[in-house]
Amino acid sequence: MRVLAPGRWLGLLLILALAGFGILGPWLAATDPARQVLADSLAPPGTGYWLGADHLGRSMLARLAHATRLSLLLAAVTVASAAIPGTLLGILAACRGGWVESGLVLLADAVLALPGLLLVLLLAAFAPGDFLPLYLGLALAGWVEYFRVARAMARGMLARPHVEAARLLGFGPGYVLWRLLLPGLLPTLGVLAAFGLGNAVLAISTLSFIGLGIHPPTAELGSMTTDLLPYAHEAPLMVLMPAALVFVAVLGCHLLAGRGRA
Amino acid sequence: MSGVLAIEGFRVEAADGTALVRSVDAEARPGRPLTLLGETGSGKSLVLAAAMGSLAPGLRAGGRVMLDGTEMLSATPSARRALWGRRLATLPQEPWLALDPTMRALGQVAEVYRLVRGMPAAASAEEARARLAELGLGGVAALYPFQLSGGMAQRLALAILRASETPVLLADEPTKGLDADRRDEAGARLRAEAERGRTVVCVTHDVAIARALGGEVAVMLEGRVVERGPAARVLERPSHTYTRRLLEAEPARWPELPPRPAPCGEVAVAAEGVCRGFGGRPVLCGVDLSVRRGEIVAVTGPSGCGKTTLGDVLLGLLRPDAGTVRRLPGVVPWRFGKLYQDPPSAFAPHQTMRQALGDLARHHGLAWDAIAALVERLRLAPALLDRRPDALSGGELQRFALVRVLALDPVFLLADEPTSRLDPITQREVSMLLGELAGERGLAVLLVTHDAALAAKLADRTLRLRANGTDR
Amino acid sequence: MDRHLLGRFLRPVLMRLVQALLVALIIGALGFALMAALPGDQAFRLAAARYGPDMGDAAAAALVHRELGLDRPLAVQFLDWVGRLLRFDLGHSLVTGAPVLEELAMQLGYTLALAGVALPLSALLGLPFGLLAGLRPGGPVDRVTLGLSVLLRAVPAYALGLLLVAVFSIRFRWLPPAGFEGWREFILPALTLALGLAALSARVARDSVAAVAASPYMAFARWKGLPERAVVLRHGLRNAAIPVVALLGLQLIGLVEGLVIVESLFSWPGIGHALVHAIFARDVPVVQGAALVMGLIFVLVNALVDLACALIDPRRPRAAA
Repeated sequence: MRVLAPGRWLGLLLILALAGFGILGPWLAATDPARQVLADSLAPPGTGYWLGADHLGRSMLARLAHATRLSLLLAAVTVASAAIPGTLLGILAACRGGWVESGLVLLADAVLALPGLLLVLLLAAFAPGDFLPLYLGLALAGWVEYFRVARAMARGMLARPHVEAARLLGFGPGYVLWRLLLPGLLPTLGVLAAFGLGNAVLAISTLSFIGLGIHPPTAELGSMTTDLLPYAHEAPLMVLMPAALVFVAVLGCHLLAGRGRA
Repeated sequence: MSGVLAIEGFRVEAADGTALVRSVDAEARPGRPLTLLGETGSGKSLVLAAAMGSLAPGLRAGGRVMLDGTEMLSATPSARRALWGRRLATLPQEPWLALDPTMRALGQVAEVYRLVRGMPAAASAEEARARLAELGLGGVAALYPFQLSGGMAQRLALAILRASETPVLLADEPTKGLDADRRDEAGARLRAEAERGRTVVCVTHDVAIARALGGEVAVMLEGRVVERGPAARVLERPSHTYTRRLLEAEPARWPELPPRPAPCGEVAVAAEGVCRGFGGRPVLCGVDLSVRRGEIVAVTGPSGCGKTTLGDVLLGLLRPDAGTVRRLPGVVPWRFGKLYQDPPSAFAPHQTMRQALGDLARHHGLAWDAIAALVERLRLAPALLDRRPDALSGGELQRFALVRVLALDPVFLLADEPTSRLDPITQREVSMLLGELAGERGLAVLLVTHDAALAAKLADRTLRLRANGTDR
Repeated sequence: MDRHLLGRFLRPVLMRLVQALLVALIIGALGFALMAALPGDQAFRLAAARYGPDMGDAAAAALVHRELGLDRPLAVQFLDWVGRLLRFDLGHSLVTGAPVLEELAMQLGYTLALAGVALPLSALLGLPFGLLAGLRPGGPVDRVTLGLSVLLRAVPAYALGLLLVAVFSIRFRWLPPAGFEGWREFILPALTLALGLAALSARVARDSVAAVAASPYMAFARWKGLPERAVVLRHGLRNAAIPVVALLGLQLIGLVEGLVIVESLFSWPGIGHALVHAIFARDVPVVQGAALVMGLIFVLVNALVDLACALIDPRRPRAAA
């Protein structure tokens, strides 16, 4: 990849910092995020807990670190599950044309007929609080975007003389795919994926906030906000912490994506 | 007298003090048009921008540009703007981009009568209809710009400028982006405006336009006018070396090519009674053609007559609807190659030339030395190998495209307008090279071109296709 | 009407009709599967869902079992299910026993009212900044709006709502944090929704205005001698509006998602809130009905956006093809 613009470097830095927190945090806190010490309920930062303790006396540091790791991991898996099949199907549709393309486009249109969140909610209704419907819903709603972009770009590239020239020079379809199409698509798909990562973090925490995502006692950034909300008066900082981490993660992803997409 | 544009000691400096234009003197008046002739970067467009009063803000202009006694350089922006559409008007570059994409053709003409000249709506529409009809656009009044061809869009822009009837008409690169066979038409249209008594000032790199327009020509090089005088004299008996080089780059004036051995090789490709249509519309009908090794055959004809289609059928890229295509038996498909009209689009934008050629060598088991020798043979500096297409000129890319084709020891080459996007001097170089290589390597070349002079110069024989896709 | 115009207006409407059918089919299929996934006796649940909970004794269930043809093949039962959906026979809530359609009608009113305030508010907040930024790309207004919009789009909607509540209801006690009595209750939820939408529309408006202002057709319009007013009104406005109107379609996705979150956060008695509640309660008829109504409104408004685009942009069908 060529040199990134300064804003995109900042985004990368923020994401790496959060990933570092997710990996090193549990080791720093060295406590079980589920361990309750009711006597320490709402202990302020410093007193034996670096970032304080929540209403049940659990270490905020440990919970935030676990929750951050969970958010980033689940978001990354979701984005990969949407981006890889979406891109491959898009290229397949562009190369094959005919009924393969028509069928895939119809499928994509069917998914687009519903706002993505509605699809996720309907799937979540099967097993509220589970990882699986959340992951499936986000990936199912997400692949369409990669499919559409990859198909449109691949069609454009296939119509360009350089692909015809490669064929005339004796190169096979494998070369066209790996050396001509994919490298041409990657920068744009990277932007989409960075954006998608941010939006997945946002969606996971939002759904957990309204109780339809990941349920307590698993530490999750959105549901931590819900849990701590009744104590907003006593410990406003603690309510703020998980939401601030979501903000930083999404900001990092959007900055990394850059201005390539409105 | 009205409509006199006089330029005296005009100069432009960039913000950092670099001189972009140094001392230009020229004059245009009704009946005596002025052409500023020169390459991109010669500063000719800055003269035009200064005349309009639309120089970019960072630039400093000096000298005088007088329009009927008004000094344009020192005039306030609002004073200059008051002249637009009343005293002077500009035919924009690439007119299809300068027309409002969401307004019908008629409205774009009529609003000049209505809003600039204050005529009532009904009369404006009537006048606009008359202007469109004059330029042969009577049938497209209700169409939008995206439904017009490049030539039609240019005529629509001219109709708009006729509506404003300004004494002075400026034209900025009137042939840019037009199909090759529409370029002569653009020159004729501008001449017609001059003959209506308007003062025409035209900026172009195209010698043919200068010749068509007549009047006075000023040849510009690196911000200076190197030669100036009546078109007839400057274009017939140039005194400056640069002008001479510019003129010699025209195919009609090329020196005779070194004679090639008479083509006696086998027939590389042959077509018999080939027909091919698109979407039910026939493009090619019953064409016969054969090309021997060592022979250059040109295909010419108007836009849309199926020149490129014929080549693609011969290459096997398109299947003929009827007729047969025979290619030299026992020869692998990749020894039939193609050169493209737009060199940048014929290369993957993310690959350097070294990567692209390296892949080719690996795929076909060629030694890199053979490629390097070809790069040298085509007079390409080795340092260019590490550049991507966007950092190479059209001429360099076209030569790399030749390297790529020649590496596979071709028997046949389809050259699809290979020089039409190159500047005149490069065009000549690439064409000469093509001629040399055909003889040297026993290469059968099918040259698709709109340029009859180029075809006559380079080809052993020419096949003329008619607009209906039949050969004569 | 020539073929061009026909294609311009008729084709998008037809496409959207197909889409509406797809929405009904997808939601029907998921609803059918949800129903089957519920624990307990199928006949009891179906009887309750169709005719209300008072049908819930064993004898009635046996009756219903025969009447509904639960012994029929699954495919036939599914077609029957979707057929009811298409006739808008949405059944009864498993929780309250009220007909789903009646409940939804009332909730829809609240949702539309909230959306009706939030959308114009977002235009009011976003478009002027976008316009000013686009007229001077790279200038101070452009930079500040860019920064604000990037920051704003990274804030989760629930956190934004909580912040607004913390500032305006708790700190200053100006506005009520929840409820739905009068216009004051509208302000915070509508503002939460509108800020998120405005962050996007300001950027789109900015890019569109900047592109049009720098376009050769604006320069040519000036060269023609048109007065500046005519240049802007006749050539600038329509062209700059095209991407902004087209964006409305995209905004709708954001609006639907935002409504679910904001209604839940502010306990707004709208359809998004109802959907979330019904999912908790496993009240399948309501889940299905709410999703269907939201999906159909989404399609309907998209169809309106298509028509508006076709009206202002003559190139539209060609670009889509």
